[in-house]
Amino acid sequence: MTERTIAVDYLARVEGEGALKVRVHDRKVEDVQLKIFEPPRFFEAFLRGRSYAEAPDITARICGICPVAYQMSSCHAMEQALGMTVGGPLRELRRLLYCGEWIESHALHIYLLHAPDFLGYPDAVHLAKDHPAAVKKGLELKKVGNHLMQVLGGREIHPVNVRVGGFYRCPSRNELEALRPELERALGLAEETVHFAAGLTFPEVEEDYEFVALHHEHEYAMNEGEVVSSKGLRIPVHEYEDHFEEVHMAHSNALQSVRKGGGSYLVGPLARYALNHDRLSPRAKSIAKEVGLASVERNPYRSILVRAVEVVYSVEEALRIIDAYRPPAAPFVEPPPSFHASTGASVTEAPRGMLYHRYRINSDGLIEEAKIVAPTSQNQKRIEDDLRHVVERGLDQDDATLADYCERAIRNHDPCISCATHFLTLDIERT
Amino acid sequence: MIGLGNEHRGDDRAGLDVVRAVRARLGPSARTVEGPDDVTDLLALWADADRVVVIDAVRSGRAPGAVHRYVLPEETLPSRLGSTSTHGLTLADAVALGRSLGRFPHRLVVFGIEAGPVGMQDGLSDPVARAVAEVTELVLSEVHGPSSRPRGE
Repeated sequence: MTERTIAVDYLARVEGEGALKVRVHDRKVEDVQLKIFEPPRFFEAFLRGRSYAEAPDITARICGICPVAYQMSSCHAMEQALGMTVGGPLRELRRLLYCGEWIESHALHIYLLHAPDFLGYPDAVHLAKDHPAAVKKGLELKKVGNHLMQVLGGREIHPVNVRVGGFYRCPSRNELEALRPELERALGLAEETVHFAAGLTFPEVEEDYEFVALHHEHEYAMNEGEVVSSKGLRIPVHEYEDHFEEVHMAHSNALQSVRKGGGSYLVGPLARYALNHDRLSPRAKSIAKEVGLASVERNPYRSILVRAVEVVYSVEEALRIIDAYRPPAAPFVEPPPSFHASTGASVTEAPRGMLYHRYRINSDGLIEEAKIVAPTSQNQKRIEDDLRHVVERGLDQDDATLADYCERAIRNHDPCISCATHFLTLDIERT
Repeated sequence: MIGLGNEHRGDDRAGLDVVRAVRARLGPSARTVEGPDDVTDLLALWADADRVVVIDAVRSGRAPGAVHRYVLPEETLPSRLGSTSTHGLTLADAVALGRSLGRFPHRLVVFGIEAGPVGMQDGLSDPVARAVAEVTELVLSEVHGPSSRPRGE
């Protein structure tokens, strides 16, 4: 038999569910298909006719894991359409809210979803039996992130306090100061997490990624900046669709995001780190150096290390913002008194990578068109490329082992398939 | 007393309705919680509780309105029980994680109410509404149950 098919019906330890089919013929990988069903399409449809003001609340429902990212991208995109600028303390509070989301999302992935792969456990429950201290650390970090989101966002999941122009209510200095002790503790835990990740054993793999991320002149980019790539791209956000397009793949309902005229690309922590390394905080930079991370990391398995460094950064950044915070005169910038037909676009950095929103609104302030591209949609093709290499390297393994390698390779990228949404089962066809 | 579920999805609100009914009977001092959305947050909720009751809608193939009751740690939860998040962590995972981490109440009682329709609809189906009333009484008897620890602490 020279045709070989390997199937995984249910991908474990990823956000959401997904399926994969790989076809190998005579030891050559013919086809890699990542089948993902996309719900943002529905959101893009039912946003039409809604008020611009509803976009943050509606789009937050696309994902229960990274709602802040959707709120941020939608707010910034609408503000661009409306010609609004949100700066000063409001801008800082947005970064603070994002720090909370990065902390909780990364902590969950590192300890509960990814670490079991490196330590030989099928899941976090088994990992917790032998390494309770490590898992407790992860849960505690997650709790700190969630608490920050709750204080600033009004609720942990789908924060209710975010609006176009800023917030419905801003915290007092005391309310934020009260978070200091747990954030200081979290900084220690985050540094321990970097050391924990550094102690893991990584396969020796290097991939030639085109990294794409937001880049800002002064800060590790979260909400604002230009879109840059490791192959020389540097564009303002509103030119995103001139350089990236969604392609319909015949084998699935999914749209894959590709570089126009090019191929796959990678967004997320590895991309951010490679393109913004010099914008990291001092402690984040030094701990990265301490554990032997170069300024660019191309081994996808070592993404766990980079996520850990981003947790250190997020905690430090949260402390910096809290120390400097002075409540603004008003919790939000007023929208303009009247609207005209206009378009606005934004990219912000969700924990998993760039999240693009574009809206066209009319003179009544109603949404006429919406386009949303999630980070995992952008990584799909690149994940398929990684998988192709994994299968090529592992052809001598039996199907079950190879399926396991494929799942691990997918988990390296922390896909939020809920955002891209679907169901993932692995199916490798060998002929 | 923790009620899990989604009040916009038909019978999936059963757990929430039970804790609301319990709170109506016991008053505001009752330690009732609706949610959490993230199953791992249960561990934090359990952390300082001696006895915990969790109520959720379940699907196990039995007739709608059937009531399951598990008393832990003596018994074991079926592994597919109570998936509430896209992490894929179930209530059974939270229980196992809690036990591994030493974050587990002395007594955890889980009530599962077999659900009928869980699509986007308001209200409970009749058999599940009856089960909610039944489980409310069972939860109240848990509250006044084996331990003589006073309520409302």
